[in-house]
Amino acid sequence: MSYQLTIEPLGETIDVEEGQTILDACLRKGIWLPHACCHGLCATCKIQVNDGEIEHGEASPFALMDFERDEGKCLACCATLQSDVVIEAEIEEEPDAANYPVTDHVATVSRIVDLTPTIKGIFLQLPAGEQLSFQAGQYVNLQVPGVEQARAFSLANAPQEAELELNIRHVPGGQATTWLHENLKEGDRLALSGPYGRFFVRKSAQQPLLFIAGGSGLSSPKSMILDLLAEGCELPITLVQGARQLSELYYHDLFTELAAQHSHFTYLPALSAEPEDSAWAGFRGHAHEAAREHFAGDFRGVKAYLCGPPAMIEASIATLMQGRLFERDIYTEKFFSAADAQQVRSPLFRNV
Amino acid sequence: MDMKTSGRKLGLKEKYAHMTRGLGWETTYQPMDKVFPYDKMEGIKIHDWEKWEDPFRLTMDAYWKYQSEKERKLYAIIDAFAQNNGHLNVTDARYINALKLFITGVSPLEYMAHRGFAHTGRQLRGVGPRVACQMQAIDEIRHVQTQIHTISNYNKFYNGMHDFRHMHDRVWYLSVPKSFFDDAISAGPFEFMVAIGFSFEYVLTNLLFVPFMSGAAFNGDMGTVTFGFSAQSDEARHMTLGLEVIKFLLEQDPDNLPIVQKWIDKWTWRGVRMLTLVAMMMDYMLPKRVMSWREAWDIYFEQNAGALFKDLARYGITMPKCVETAIKEKDHISHQAWATFYQYGAAAAFHTWMPTPEEMDWLSSKYPDSFDRYYRPRFEYWREQEAAGNRFYNKTLPMLCQTCQIPMLFTEPDDPTKIAYRETTYKGEKYHFCSDHCQHIFEDESEKYMQSWLPVHQIYQGNCFPEGVDPTAPDFDPLAAVLQWYHIQFGADNLSFEGSEDQKNFEQWRGMATQNV
Repeated sequence: MSYQLTIEPLGETIDVEEGQTILDACLRKGIWLPHACCHGLCATCKIQVNDGEIEHGEASPFALMDFERDEGKCLACCATLQSDVVIEAEIEEEPDAANYPVTDHVATVSRIVDLTPTIKGIFLQLPAGEQLSFQAGQYVNLQVPGVEQARAFSLANAPQEAELELNIRHVPGGQATTWLHENLKEGDRLALSGPYGRFFVRKSAQQPLLFIAGGSGLSSPKSMILDLLAEGCELPITLVQGARQLSELYYHDLFTELAAQHSHFTYLPALSAEPEDSAWAGFRGHAHEAAREHFAGDFRGVKAYLCGPPAMIEASIATLMQGRLFERDIYTEKFFSAADAQQVRSPLFRNV
Repeated sequence: MDMKTSGRKLGLKEKYAHMTRGLGWETTYQPMDKVFPYDKMEGIKIHDWEKWEDPFRLTMDAYWKYQSEKERKLYAIIDAFAQNNGHLNVTDARYINALKLFITGVSPLEYMAHRGFAHTGRQLRGVGPRVACQMQAIDEIRHVQTQIHTISNYNKFYNGMHDFRHMHDRVWYLSVPKSFFDDAISAGPFEFMVAIGFSFEYVLTNLLFVPFMSGAAFNGDMGTVTFGFSAQSDEARHMTLGLEVIKFLLEQDPDNLPIVQKWIDKWTWRGVRMLTLVAMMMDYMLPKRVMSWREAWDIYFEQNAGALFKDLARYGITMPKCVETAIKEKDHISHQAWATFYQYGAAAAFHTWMPTPEEMDWLSSKYPDSFDRYYRPRFEYWREQEAAGNRFYNKTLPMLCQTCQIPMLFTEPDDPTKIAYRETTYKGEKYHFCSDHCQHIFEDESEKYMQSWLPVHQIYQGNCFPEGVDPTAPDFDPLAAVLQWYHIQFGADNLSFEGSEDQKNFEQWRGMATQNV
């Protein structure tokens, strides 16, 4: 059976499976806790248990002292839950996190739109009286019929709009996206829960914003930008949208129009594999290259939000860092595939 | 409910900031540049010391509590070890020679790390890194103390450990670790932190500490395992400090990048060269092997450091070029080093031996590309000669590399049958090197490395004999005089393990502990 774990000071609550360590549960839910050795020796992941019962597991007596056990400390990498538990961890507090509670809904498919040859826009209507409050950039877990585990999709609509929008790319061989692309029709009902995720605009920073989006990773930036413009944000906003060809560049007209209406919003579409003889007059190259050219290689002073395939994010982070923008000003939403999670990462960076 | 109360508890980060950052001030009687004369001399530009992210937040109060409980546990185990003759539980007495190498070669470095971090902390005008360095300085002195206390239980029964500190400053092969740390500590404060905090504590520590501690566990040495655990909980803090230094320097100013890259290149190679001693320990000195040097290198360097350098690439840092050489050498250095120590076994403070036939088979299986082809024939020949009563001791002195101070025993990266020699001329003097990388380090800082105290040169200059001896006397025996000056007792501390006092005593005592005699 699973227990609930509440993490202070975030105030977020997550499910933890039987035998699953606190660290594992948190990392899988995108909550970063300090950690290093992952087997109870180094004490980097020491946390305070404020309420509930835990089992210390293999925590070394030299890494977790007796007096600390008496004080309610434990090592997140080894500790498992014996009841619902509240912990306090050394996590940066986020003044911009709204911490909307997760709610469950059964929504009706109101429209399905082909955005590109491989991406569909799926619009969902909640039952009358129900509401899903979220911060632009967050995602929902969607139950796809016949697929056991729920799938995460970012919300592409602005939080001010009642109709939910998901942009779903067909992953070749992917069970859930194949079903959604081939079988889903208007009027179908889909169960979903949300909002989830820590990817949202740090509005309190009051700094110019740069969004770099690729593929169906446009969802979150779209929601964020619509939200900012709806709120009357006057800071400079730049959206770099990367795609291979013009046929894959969706919402091109929407953003072109928004750029014409708002002088502080700059829209930079970049095509990396557009046929050379086409009529495309915009930037040719990758999104990070377009960003580098536009900012003349100097990103100091902006807040950057990256959303897209891992290779685009990796290239963008390197470009930003070489342009003097570092981890504290870079935010990413990465959807890991099983293969990505296998990669050995160093502890040099925490969030990017 | 999401209500914020006015009496909100301070987060750990804020609490720590109140307790540390407020401790610094801008001096007015003297300019800051005179109070902190060293933190600008290396060309490193720091614009905002407040951007330093404290990699760990520990108050002195909590620190004393942790360390005192660790001490109580460690010393309880050391006492039990002493009372139960724990030294007789090790696999066999050859293992103790790894401890001799550790206490003479590594523990004094812990003390130097203490001095280095205390000094560096004083020299940094930013309060965050200053406090972090001073905390690490206290850890390091605790490490050297616990190591001395743990290993002192072996010193009561076995030879070679009685004067480890004296030996560290004098013995030829100990000049390798000693000069490594002296090099770091005589650099500027930021280079010291990159050298020790980053390159050594982060990039290479798993190749030093893990082999010794797992070696202890595999060979039944409870005491050493326990100080290993007791230190490892500190090491995590040291590693995060090493990472934070790099991030801080690289984020402060683009001009810092080439300086930091140069230091990473230099100290990775300096570290890799020093680890030759560990490679040899892993492959030859542990009766029960943990893993081969090559396997450790594959996991801890090629995989883990590979992931680190992939992340560092975002800052523009590239993998040091020397790593290519180190990868080519991973099949060779442990065998070449042990062959050298076996030959110079008369001048070492530990015993040497040739591997048994089973151990040679293990080496063949771990080094399929090199052992049978280049090393087994030589080792089998020496084994036969020793069995026939012709144990060979080399009595000439080897040429040393001016930079790493290791005898010129390494072969060409692409030809394991040819010793690598490099040389350069500086101010009319010729200097010799084991590798391109050691040569480049010298050429970059010739004024520093031309002053190296090279044990072989010093012996030839007559600086390594006890006071009052007459090297011109007809019966003068230079090796005996050098050993006297080293405080190595001829016939007890040195020579072959076969027939040594250690071997006889261990067998006899273990016999008494396990049989009715």
